[in-house]
Amino acid sequence: MSVDSVPANREFAKQIGVTFPLLSDFKRTVVKDYGVFNEEQGFGNRATFLIDKEGIIRHIDEGNVAIDPNSVVEACNVLTHKKAASP
Amino acid sequence: MFIRFLASVVLLAVLGSVALAQQPAAPKQPAPPKTNLKVGDPAPDFTLRATDGNTYKLSDFKGKKNVVLAIYVLAFTGG
Repeated sequence: MSVDSVPANREFAKQIGVTFPLLSDFKRTVVKDYGVFNEEQGFGNRATFLIDKEGIIRHIDEGNVAIDPNSVVEACNVLTHKKAASP
Repeated sequence: MFIRFLASVVLLAVLGSVALAQQPAAPKQPAPPKTNLKVGDPAPDFTLRATDGNTYKLSDFKGKKNVVLAIYVLAFTGG
């Protein structure tokens, strides 16, 4: 997700070859709700949120840490294993 | 006369190096805002349009799937 328009994200997706849909927060409402809106620059700062099936935030990576997806992948694994283990 | 010229050259060199040394520190950026959300908080719901033409609502995944919301700075940039 970014604050780019849908057409801009579509072109970007084509360029980098992503197969999953990219979300567009053109009105900046979601980046504001998630507290990552950079007012000076007008965009959302880099961040990754892992949200579980109950809608609860289970993991947050912010800034340059969020470039590396390993920690959120690890958190996903922990979450899915936990869910699988519980009755 | 020569001494005076030499002194001014040295002075200029010193001033120049001071200016150069100060340059990298000059465009001081404020720290980027940190999210007020914490692990354990309910994720704010959203409805957004996507590149596939569909609209996605976070709460539609409730009870079905875990969701990773990855916010990248801008399209056409490195990440």
